[in-house]
Amino acid sequence: MRPMKSMFHQSRRSVPSLNVASMPDLIFTVLFFFMIVTHMRSDEVKVRLQVPEGVEVQKLANKQSVVNIYIGREGEKKGRSKGGRWAVQLNGNIVNPDDIPALIEHIRGGLSAENQARLTVSLRVDRQAPMGLVSEVKRNLQQAYALKINYNATEIKK
Amino acid sequence: MFRKRYRQQIPELNTTSTADISFMLLIFFLVTSSMDTEKGLLRQMAPPPLEHEQPKDINRDNVMQVKLDGNNQLTCDGKTITYKELTAAVRSLAFVNRTGHVISIQADAATTYEAYFKMQDAVVIAYQELRDEYAKKHFGHGYNACTNDEKTAINEYYPQRISESPIQEGGAQ
Repeated sequence: MRPMKSMFHQSRRSVPSLNVASMPDLIFTVLFFFMIVTHMRSDEVKVRLQVPEGVEVQKLANKQSVVNIYIGREGEKKGRSKGGRWAVQLNGNIVNPDDIPALIEHIRGGLSAENQARLTVSLRVDRQAPMGLVSEVKRNLQQAYALKINYNATEIKK
Repeated sequence: MFRKRYRQQIPELNTTSTADISFMLLIFFLVTSSMDTEKGLLRQMAPPPLEHEQPKDINRDNVMQVKLDGNNQLTCDGKTITYKELTAAVRSLAFVNRTGHVISIQADAATTYEAYFKMQDAVVIAYQELRDEYAKKHFGHGYNACTNDEKTAINEYYPQRISESPIQEGGAQ
């Protein structure tokens, strides 16, 4: 048993303070990492969808000349997998598939000549979407001469 | 006198809140940005058919009929096959008849997109394998390591000849 005096002495010793000077640097590093690997969300997705998985996927090169089309179920409820009408969303808003040629033409008008030639349509389609709807969208894209399409998918290794 | 002033201690800047500020920035970026990748299967569609255009006749032996029915059943020339077998079949066809073969794809209106995408992927895998082999044989490295000129040469050697028939309406829609 230790003497009384030494016990009291020990408890009164102050805890050395932690040096947090490098903490902002660490957080900045994480911040820069996120700024590099992510990109700004361009438009709010109003339909629920899950893209399929593929092996032979490539990265999309030019961001400016990409038009996004989302096909998924309408409605916000995440829990229900069934239900909700199938809807097509072009960039920011839900559209009727028949209006796509006019809208593509409008978008194309706002692009530079270089990007007009490179115009790519990125199709993000839900796994369960019927091909009838997808091919209707594709036929409309064909009519608008937006012939470069990209079936968006998540990559899986072979 | 001057000496004394220099020896005065410079007051330290209080940087405790820098961490909080950068945390706030970090959280802002996490919320406004998305991680989902811009990756996908790149395809080139044919231009819309002209009115006076006559469909070309192709030798039936060189055509491979790939069909997906409403129940996502994959058939190739009438036989039920898997995606792996489709890759092998496309590969052997494209290897034997490089520039004359045609892969005809047809899907039903009720086919799910996932099945269609897997089928497209299986076909592209076959071409990619052939191109990769060609690149290794002639350029000594894989397709992905090729320069753009080399890639163009390979793509011309093994062209992707896929024809997509329009979906017939009617049936289950």
